[in-house]
Amino acid sequence: MTSRLIGSSALGCLAVVIALLFAAPTGPTGMLLRAQGPDIGTEAQRESGKTLYLKYCVQCHGEKGDGNGYATPHLLPRPRDFTTGKFKVRTTPSGALPTHQDLVNIIRRGMPYTSMPAWPNLSDQEVSDLAYFTKTFSPDFSIPENIPQPIPLPSAPAATNESIELGKKLYEENGCLKCHGTLGRGDGPSAPTLVDDLGHPIRAADLAQGWTFRGGSSREDVFKTMSTGLNGTPMPSFLEALQPEQRWAISDFIVSLSGSNGPGYTNLVVAKHVLDPIDLAKGAANFGSAPVARFPIIGQITEPGRAFHPPTTAVTVQAIYDAESIALLVRWHNMSAEKAGKNDPTLPVPPEEEEESATSGASKGGVFGDQEVAQPPAAADPFAEAAAPIAPPSEFSDAVSIQIPMQAPTGARKPYFIFGDAQNAVDLWFFDLARPDPLQFTGRGSADIAPNDTGDLSGVASYDQGEWSVIFKRPLRATSGAPFVPGEFLPLAFSVWDGFSRERGNRRGLTAWYSIYVEPEVAPSAAGPMVRTALLILVIELAVIGLVRRSRRSAAEVLRAKADGEGRQQAATRA
Amino acid sequence: MNILVVLAVAAVFALLRFRRANLLVWAGAWWVGLYVIFRFGFSAPIPSSVVSLYMGIVSIAILAYVSSSEERREEVSRPLVRFMTETRYAALLGATVVAIPALAAANVYVQMNVPLEPPLFPRTVHPASPTEITVHDKKIDLDAGENPYLELAISHPEEFRKHVENGRRVYYQNCVFCHGDNMTANGMFVHGLDPIPTNFADQGAISILRDTYLFWRISKGGPGLPEEAAPWDTAMPAWEKFLKEEEIWDAILFLYDFTGQKPRAKEEVHTQ
Ligand code: HEC
Ligand code: HEC
Ligand code: HEC
Repeated sequence: MTSRLIGSSALGCLAVVIALLFAAPTGPTGMLLRAQGPDIGTEAQRESGKTLYLKYCVQCHGEKGDGNGYATPHLLPRPRDFTTGKFKVRTTPSGALPTHQDLVNIIRRGMPYTSMPAWPNLSDQEVSDLAYFTKTFSPDFSIPENIPQPIPLPSAPAATNESIELGKKLYEENGCLKCHGTLGRGDGPSAPTLVDDLGHPIRAADLAQGWTFRGGSSREDVFKTMSTGLNGTPMPSFLEALQPEQRWAISDFIVSLSGSNGPGYTNLVVAKHVLDPIDLAKGAANFGSAPVARFPIIGQITEPGRAFHPPTTAVTVQAIYDAESIALLVRWHNMSAEKAGKNDPTLPVPPEEEEESATSGASKGGVFGDQEVAQPPAAADPFAEAAAPIAPPSEFSDAVSIQIPMQAPTGARKPYFIFGDAQNAVDLWFFDLARPDPLQFTGRGSADIAPNDTGDLSGVASYDQGEWSVIFKRPLRATSGAPFVPGEFLPLAFSVWDGFSRERGNRRGLTAWYSIYVEPEVAPSAAGPMVRTALLILVIELAVIGLVRRSRRSAAEVLRAKADGEGRQQAATRA
Repeated sequence: MNILVVLAVAAVFALLRFRRANLLVWAGAWWVGLYVIFRFGFSAPIPSSVVSLYMGIVSIAILAYVSSSEERREEVSRPLVRFMTETRYAALLGATVVAIPALAAANVYVQMNVPLEPPLFPRTVHPASPTEITVHDKKIDLDAGENPYLELAISHPEEFRKHVENGRRVYYQNCVFCHGDNMTANGMFVHGLDPIPTNFADQGAISILRDTYLFWRISKGGPGLPEEAAPWDTAMPAWEKFLKEEEIWDAILFLYDFTGQKPRAKEEVHTQ
């Protein structure tokens, strides 16, 4: 009995030991093996992903996953062609596939300033299923040799002024500025020639607007982007070329270019009074410390001749006024200055131009016209010393306009935000940047724009390091257009035309109505009212305390008198 | 209701009860407690002008209660009078006398430095539609009409799916930039629009509207809004410039199909 017991327990022990022996080597290696197999999910996961894909993604990415959905002709950048296996935002080396988590992250967060939306409302499982389904479009994902291995992302040293300085130097030495420009505004000499691997035109990111980065704008994100490169685009990987500290330094420099985490869009520009008369010859220097307002630019997609992806994302505006005139300084980033050609708010745009050609951009009808994308895809060597081919002069010049109501609105009704309407006209200040001076128009809707040369308007424009700076100047009260009155608000709106993208007429970027406030010369000071209020309250307080104390004292006297009287009485009775 | 705030106020009241606080303390506690509830107790904030109105009423009520009997008046005024007369409080009294005007002055400063806001105009979200409109030279009766393709859902389901699919194409070629991919008004241009586009996924948006109403809004857009629909700032385009009548009806079918909603029925409007 006992021996049997011992025997069985010995057997049990043996079994455990054997099990452990097997478990020890197989456990970890088993797990490794599984991690090494392509992570393409289960049949059920892919099926669930497919259902979601057909509801949410197919309209852009297409039934075959080739980026040819309904929306595609209106989109730039184009929806990703999943069959290529090329993904921009990854943690893996240049050319490699993304990890499963990379796909999950990018679907969850979306890609800012493109039509690729964020999907915050899908569950974690749904996003993961979608990622599995996306992988089915490219056979690369099921090849074991292709299993993506994330590159090391070392922890960051602290950002210092020195690291920013060093980053600037490295940025210049490593050819970043050839594409991104000296100040990072996307205006490098090669920028106009860039195309992606499929031959579609692509712009070098505007590094001074970090919030537009597809892969995130934090130091860590920029470090990662620089290390991995963006597959399928001319943006190379610098994993081999630069040491981690060097990449950190460049990241610090790039983050410093934006100056802030977000665009800080506002709905108001405040015009400051200046004592010195406004002198156009002094240019931007006139505007000294006038506050800077940033307004978002969106595509004009309301009137025929639509622009679905204007390259301009924002304008910054400052305003000042002197005894007679008001001046507005409008600035925006622009890849290349088109100072030749023509532009006009009335230029017609054929309806076909709303659609980009569905085939490769190298064929006729690409956004930039056929000649300009002649550069063969993928041949863009960032380090090639040969000067970038010079793009032929554009047919259209860059242009900008400010619009204000013809009459200051008395109630809620403003003119229609796109160049006014039949009842409410707008006064349009238009600057074709191929010309020396701005022009004035009266707008009664996009189809009814007439020149209105009052001679009131003057202006200057300059282009420097990827930025246009345009100043408009007009008398506070002019022959045409609402007056600017200190202490009052006036609606205003902007349009920007990029000649390089063949923007003219209705094809342009614009803003909705925003406001300008003409700040009175002497702002009412708070000191007077503050002192008056404080004194008034002080007097009341003292009065109350005084009263209470007096009545208290008299009450006490009465008491004392009473007590005295009683004392006397008592004394009397005793006596 | 913000339960945490209400609980916190209740806890303070319980503590005061436990410590057998003086009536003056109670009066103060009620005033502050109610203020905190009005101000922070509701998940949908009450406008500050309304809060001041409520607090006025509360002040009067507390004053009335406190002065309603000789005893209560005594209980409240005694500590106050002692504070103002007894020498051991002199320093504290001096500080109070200075602090109150200083606070009032600071308040004036804050009031005078509120950030500038351009004039705001209230918006009429669903103005009454006209009874009839003309689109592509065809008269459409908005009261008696209905989406002509809706009945296909039962009679010819396959035809119907084709119309929905066509609507999907129309939507993703034209509307997605503003109304967004999953119709929650998250399109890529939304950050530049005010008012923001309608969120179709919101259960209270298109399900309370008739499909003919949508037809009117889609074909005539912002420019077609009636007189009472202030402030006419919407960027909603007039789609008759781009789309055929059928395409607009199809887009409407798709909107309801994608969001799993149904247009409000004709009868409901009449029985309203
Ligand atoms: C309105 C159009 C649109 C819809 C809808 C859409 N996408 Fe995209 N998607 C895009 C565009 C455009 C890009 C490319 C952006 C770029 O290259 O900067 C993209 C890129 C991607 C990428 C590539 C990211 C990378 O790092 O390169 C993935 C993955 C992706 N989309 C997945 C999805 C999934 C999954 C859905 C559905 C849940 C979806 N998309 C819905 C337009 C869309
Ligand atoms: C051959 C041209 C080229 C060179 C050289 C180049 N870039 Fe880029 N870069 C691009 C293009 C094109 C994009 C935009 C890709 C896109 O839109 O998806 C880009 C995008 C970026 C982005 C934004 C990524 C994102 O998430 O959207 C950063 C940051 C960046 N580059 C940094 C650098 C730095 C730093 C260097 C130098 C070390 C550099 N680039 C060199 C072409 C280049
Ligand atoms: C330029 C941006 C923009 C585009 C493009 C756009 N919309 Fe709108 N839409 C809006 C805005 C803003 C509103 C909300 C204000 C209003 O009611 O006009 C709106 C409102 C609506 C409404 C009114 C709903 C209600 O509650 O009364 C409908 C219906 C609608 N849109 C359908 C569409 C359809 C269908 C398309 C595509 C064919 C489309 N929209 C394209 C901006 C847009």
